[in-house]
Amino acid sequence: MNKKSFGSRLVAAPYLVWAAIFVIVPLLMMAYFAFTDNSGAFTLSNMAQIGKYKKAFGVSILYALAATIVTLLISYPMAYFMTKMKVSSQRMVMIIVMLPMWMNFLIRTYSWISILANTGIINTFLKSIGLRPLHLINTPGAVILGMVYDFVPYMILPIYSVMSKIDKSLLEAAEDLGSNAFSRLRRVIIPLSMPGVISGITMVFVPSVSTFYISQKLGGNKNWLIGDAIEYLFGAGPEYYNIASAISLILMVMILLCLAVMSRFSSDEEGGVII
Amino acid sequence: MAKENIVELKNVCVSFDGEKVLDELSLEIRDKEFITLLGASGCGKTTTLRLIAGFLDPDSGDVLFEGKKFNGVPAYKRQVNTIFQRYALFEHLNVFENVAFGLRVKKMPEAEIKKTVSEMLSLVNLEGFEKRRITTLSGGQQQRVAIARAIANKPKVLLLDEPLAALDLKLRKDMQKELRNIQRTLGITFIFVTHDQEEALTMSDRVVVMDKGKIQQVGTPKDIYNEPKNAFVADFIGESNIVDGVMLKDFVVKFSGHTFDCLDKDFDENEAVDVVVRPEDVDIVPVDKGMLTGTVTSVDFLGVHYEIIVDIGGFKWMIQTTDECFVGDNVGLYIEPDAIHIMKKSEYSGLYGDYSSYSEEMDHLSEIEEEEE
Repeated sequence: MNKKSFGSRLVAAPYLVWAAIFVIVPLLMMAYFAFTDNSGAFTLSNMAQIGKYKKAFGVSILYALAATIVTLLISYPMAYFMTKMKVSSQRMVMIIVMLPMWMNFLIRTYSWISILANTGIINTFLKSIGLRPLHLINTPGAVILGMVYDFVPYMILPIYSVMSKIDKSLLEAAEDLGSNAFSRLRRVIIPLSMPGVISGITMVFVPSVSTFYISQKLGGNKNWLIGDAIEYLFGAGPEYYNIASAISLILMVMILLCLAVMSRFSSDEEGGVII
Repeated sequence: MAKENIVELKNVCVSFDGEKVLDELSLEIRDKEFITLLGASGCGKTTTLRLIAGFLDPDSGDVLFEGKKFNGVPAYKRQVNTIFQRYALFEHLNVFENVAFGLRVKKMPEAEIKKTVSEMLSLVNLEGFEKRRITTLSGGQQQRVAIARAIANKPKVLLLDEPLAALDLKLRKDMQKELRNIQRTLGITFIFVTHDQEEALTMSDRVVVMDKGKIQQVGTPKDIYNEPKNAFVADFIGESNIVDGVMLKDFVVKFSGHTFDCLDKDFDENEAVDVVVRPEDVDIVPVDKGMLTGTVTSVDFLGVHYEIIVDIGGFKWMIQTTDECFVGDNVGLYIEPDAIHIMKKSEYSGLYGDYSSYSEEMDHLSEIEEEEE
């Protein structure tokens, strides 16, 4: 890093103060609670109890992985076809993709209840045409659907932005060297869009693995995720702050490990485009 | 050189957004020749190349390859390869994999790929670069990778789209020679696109001079230089003084108020013509011995010779001479019959060949042009 001028430090100051108060301090507090007991004495007993939550951890990771894979399967072709459209259509589709992001995600999740509920839109429709209603709400599928729906723009956007920057002459070069459309996709577009994919995976997996709202609203109390555990424990009173902090800390370490692994996949020189 | 045509364009028209880029263009390209499409930015030379590569189909007219109609055949099925203007190398692959790209697409056995790639890399003097990343290579080295990648596929025709435009002068000269050698070694057809007339003259078997989507002249570099067909070609290739003249009869032309012997014939009596005289073909002589006389208005020393501008009755001539002159001198000009070239009048008459507004920089302004389209 080259030396920064006083001016540029000054410009960065408001954010640094913000980050110190609302990022660094809470992290330190979390670490403090995680390694102390109710009286404030150092202990490892919180960490020792983590094992009780391993099912919630496991389910969270499983659901988040499933949601990430489904999101990727939807988003990659979508981004690919977007880059093939006319520029004006690309902008239009982009707005449509981003539109749901401008609405509060609690409301968006809530509206899925009225679609999936036993007396919701889908089942009302099925009954009206004489079919048996389906049990949709409060299933793992509903939770994963909620995650996919909420986070799909975060996958499409980075993939699209990387893909649309691929030099057209590279595709011509590949075609010139004998590649048909499929081979161009496999040998040029997919490898060159990997940074976008990595970034999208990160942006979908991380919020999915730590979510609690989606699982509560769409999963009932059967699909208990680690986010729900943390939320529940913090809500249960100050005597649970220590164990809740310990779980949070572990979850954070896990996420950081994922990020580290992912960034190794993306191109070595550019250091990836993880946002 | 083989006589058969490997590529033929027949009355090809292409327009983009209603604008005609190629206008009824016909061209025959012979097997194993080094042919250059020469012209300024926007003349349609890159479009012609893309037509042959298969990135583009003509609105009307035919593209023939080895006598067979080629319209609509996608680029990946054509036995031609392209070297792109900015190389278009795959940065996610190393040098070896770049060169191997086309071979892998063809599913060539691994051992054969290894052999071919190392042959190609040694042909372009890049042995030992197999594992290098593209981003760590210099411009000249990237250029070589691009060449190796294209010729590894053993194409029958290699298309080169201003491949040297991004290189500095010295490297350009070296690469010109090298490309020429590679073409001879491989014995395949090279179709080279450039806006640099010197490059076209030194490298090519034949040059195609293009302007406004039409071919102005096709010929050997010597033909193009010595026998330009119209004022555009005369001006585009090298320096030339182009004056209005009248063909009095066979072998006699009158211009600038003097009657000259020349070597041209088959014009109508008293037909108005364009007369080309190259600056190096004019001798400076004392006023009393000159066929024409004028006043020196500018003198530039270029090392090999002086480049002087002489005002003859209001028309400024450029003359290259080793005799020193000074601004304001009255001088005589002597022109041998074989230095005079007569051209039919064309749409380009009167547009070129007067050095009134001449400035040295103008030649260097258009060095790196933007990609067409």
